Amino acid sequence: MTEKKGLGALIRQNSVSLMFVVICIICIPISGLSPSYLINEIVTRMGRNAFLILSLLIPIMAGMGLNFGMTLGAMAGEIGLILVSDWQIVGIPGMVLAMIISVPISVLFGLFCGKILNMAKGREMITSYIISYFMNGAYQLVVLYLMGSIIPIKHSSIKLPRGYGVRNTVSLLSMRQKLDNLVAIRFWGIKIPVVTFIIIFLMCLVIVWFRKTKLGQDMRAVGQDMAVARDSGINVERTRIISIVISTVLAGIGMIIYLQNMGNIATYSSHSQIGMFCIAALLVGGASVEKASIGNVFLGIALFHTMFIVAPKAGAVITGDSMIGEYFRVFVSYAVITIALIMYETNKRRAKSAVGAELEKAQLEEESR
Amino acid sequence: MKSGNRILFRLGAIAVIIAIAVCMAVIGRGHTIYFDSKSGEYNGQAYTAPYKTEVYVKDERVAKLYDGERGMASTMGQTFHYSLEITPEKGGDSYTKDVTFKVPYNLDGVVINIAAMEAGLPEEAYISEFVPVPSAAELEDEEVVTDEFAGLTEGDEAEAG
Amino acid sequence: MEENVKKEKGKFRQMLDDFGLPRLIITGFLILLLVVAPFVGADLPTQISNIISRFSWNGVLVLAMVPMVHSGCGLNFGLPLGIISGLLGATLSIELGFTGGFSFFMAAVLATPFALVFGTVYGWLLNKIKGGEMMIATYVGFSSVSLMCMMWLILPYHSPNMVWGMAGKGLRTTISLEGYYTQALAKILQIRIGKLVIPTGALLFFALLAFLMWAFLHTKTGTAMTAVGSNPTFARAAGINVDKIRLLSVVMSTWLAAIGILVYEQGFGFVQLYMAPFYMALPAVSAILIGGASVNKASITNVIIGTILFQGIVTMTPTVMNNMIHTDMSEVIRIIASNGMILYALTRRTEGAKK
Repeated sequence: MTEKKGLGALIRQNSVSLMFVVICIICIPISGLSPSYLINEIVTRMGRNAFLILSLLIPIMAGMGLNFGMTLGAMAGEIGLILVSDWQIVGIPGMVLAMIISVPISVLFGLFCGKILNMAKGREMITSYIISYFMNGAYQLVVLYLMGSIIPIKHSSIKLPRGYGVRNTVSLLSMRQKLDNLVAIRFWGIKIPVVTFIIIFLMCLVIVWFRKTKLGQDMRAVGQDMAVARDSGINVERTRIISIVISTVLAGIGMIIYLQNMGNIATYSSHSQIGMFCIAALLVGGASVEKASIGNVFLGIALFHTMFIVAPKAGAVITGDSMIGEYFRVFVSYAVITIALIMYETNKRRAKSAVGAELEKAQLEEESR
Repeated sequence: MKSGNRILFRLGAIAVIIAIAVCMAVIGRGHTIYFDSKSGEYNGQAYTAPYKTEVYVKDERVAKLYDGERGMASTMGQTFHYSLEITPEKGGDSYTKDVTFKVPYNLDGVVINIAAMEAGLPEEAYISEFVPVPSAAELEDEEVVTDEFAGLTEGDEAEAG
Repeated sequence: MEENVKKEKGKFRQMLDDFGLPRLIITGFLILLLVVAPFVGADLPTQISNIISRFSWNGVLVLAMVPMVHSGCGLNFGLPLGIISGLLGATLSIELGFTGGFSFFMAAVLATPFALVFGTVYGWLLNKIKGGEMMIATYVGFSSVSLMCMMWLILPYHSPNMVWGMAGKGLRTTISLEGYYTQALAKILQIRIGKLVIPTGALLFFALLAFLMWAFLHTKTGTAMTAVGSNPTFARAAGINVDKIRLLSVVMSTWLAAIGILVYEQGFGFVQLYMAPFYMALPAVSAILIGGASVNKASITNVIIGTILFQGIVTMTPTVMNNMIHTDMSEVIRIIASNGMILYALTRRTEGAKK
């Protein structure tokens, strides 16, 4: 069946990616940015975002859709980094320690998220989306009220002057790009953060390997059909929770890699935007709600972030107002997610009605006999 | 038996991770070292700052100090190697010396008075804890912005990165 | 005797289950706040006036949830789309030079065609993706808000009261309604008893819309809508055009949201543009859920009780908290309580939900 796929179907399937290629082709010359600058930026963003986006793959495999709950992992990563920077553990050891701290927090968050999603089967996405808002409240409770009053925070550069709560931004100067610069090759003015890429590559290998393990196979089975999976003796609930826990833990680690590149934490907003941008990037790369590959991740970053860099500049050139471009890229991020969700739901319905029609036909044949 | 092994294995893994965490906390502890070149007095023994002191860390000059000046360097871990190039008199000859300093774990910032150290005084005379004075900007009350789009109106990620 | 007690207990249990634990906690919390308020030095009449006036601002927005819940489209997370229609009406009314209370009427009139068009498109879309309404509604709302962010900058508005003074173009983020329709409804028949102020006009307006909604739900089309929501297969068998009814419910919801934001603005005194409509769906959604609605069941009573409880907590917590412990944790409490309520509703098993 797959060989017979026509050009039309191919275009329809990759319409989002193609649309982005068109946007990029139009906007790049208008923006007036040099190719070397652009490539440099994309390589940087590849290193910054890839790990985070990879964390989305496993829940998709388990049929739980786009994990908007990855925000929870990002929060855990931020909590780890805030604590580590207050303890003045710097450089790569600081990052490793932050990751170690983030893991148990992520696991707890993931268990919570997975448990709730099991109670809301069939509407995982909206639920995980609301969970991210709900946990944002809990995160604010911890960071804004408990840190400094119950959880000791010593340094006045991190603590608010009122004596508790964390400032709007926490500087990560002591570990800024330490991982990226550990081994960095310069290549025609393009900086390649080798170690970061090695870590990302290893993560890709782990995901490929994971798909072949017993657990990975179970997840795929659960993703295809929960009832069938349950009949064949798979503990569906447990498998789904595990997939969310893994995703959350990876998101936490990914967030630490992301923030070491950025060099500071926007304490109350870093995590909330990250979910949206990562999901949008993955979808731009040609992934759908039920199917995503590693290739989608990298294509997605390249296309989405080209748009991200180019849009404000192009917008400023065309309209003379830089804000237009800023709003444009927010709009595009949301629009991409919207389109992907619509395509997913219509495909699901089409498949369902196809099955229905077949059944009906079979029934008619039965009757005519 | 099998489940017993599993628990043991898990406990072992947790122990290893905690061990790594402790290692990271020790070797990753960052300190800021401040170098003072100030004249002074200790137990009735006066000392004077050299004309010029240059401080090198990992073959990189981090400070060039005249009388009464202060320089700084960041370091990771508790052993801090640095070398000094000291010119006692203006136009006079200079000499170099390598120093290894054990930084106390609990101190964020340490002040080393080079003049006192060169006068051969004991460690407590030339080493003191750096107590940061919060800057005016730090004392100013800060309004917490929890809005997701706080960045959007001021230019966000792309500009910061 | 023992049997009777058991029965009573069972009944009580049943009631508790119907009422729901989170709802109970929230009601208890509000009662606690009201009891504590006088002791910590908060002025109760002012507080109650605040709750009433905030109820009058938000009531219609919450009411907008009802038709879509009835027709089985779930909670309308796409409320921002309707709000945008309302904002277009408001800005056009000011741009065209209408002033005073009449500008409110004109804003409502001008918003209506936008609401009808947007609602139709939105409804058509939701008919294509039955089963996944809520997630897509959320993102339709978000996309439209961010699209309009660009539009507010580009559209050729000229009224000096609305555009940036320096550039002479592009709408401001907040536009004052002084001289336009600020308090337009609230002023009508306003009652003042000491510190207690009752915006009678706004309450009556809400009552009128709520009554119309109630009456509509008892017409033939209204009962058909309920039938579509509770059992689409049965409704289809009974000869009801399911898609048409759903479309109608979405258009109604969108129009009510447009009117709702205008009512909100007349109370608040400002038009808020750009990212402001973004989060307006969540408070409305949680309000109706707190009032006892579920993903596929909602009544006018739910709207009224929910709005009072939700707005009560939103207005009471900051003052009481501030007077008690000198920290304002109200924002965090609001986030946790309202989203917790939505989560609770989403995890309930509902007849309409897929397995």
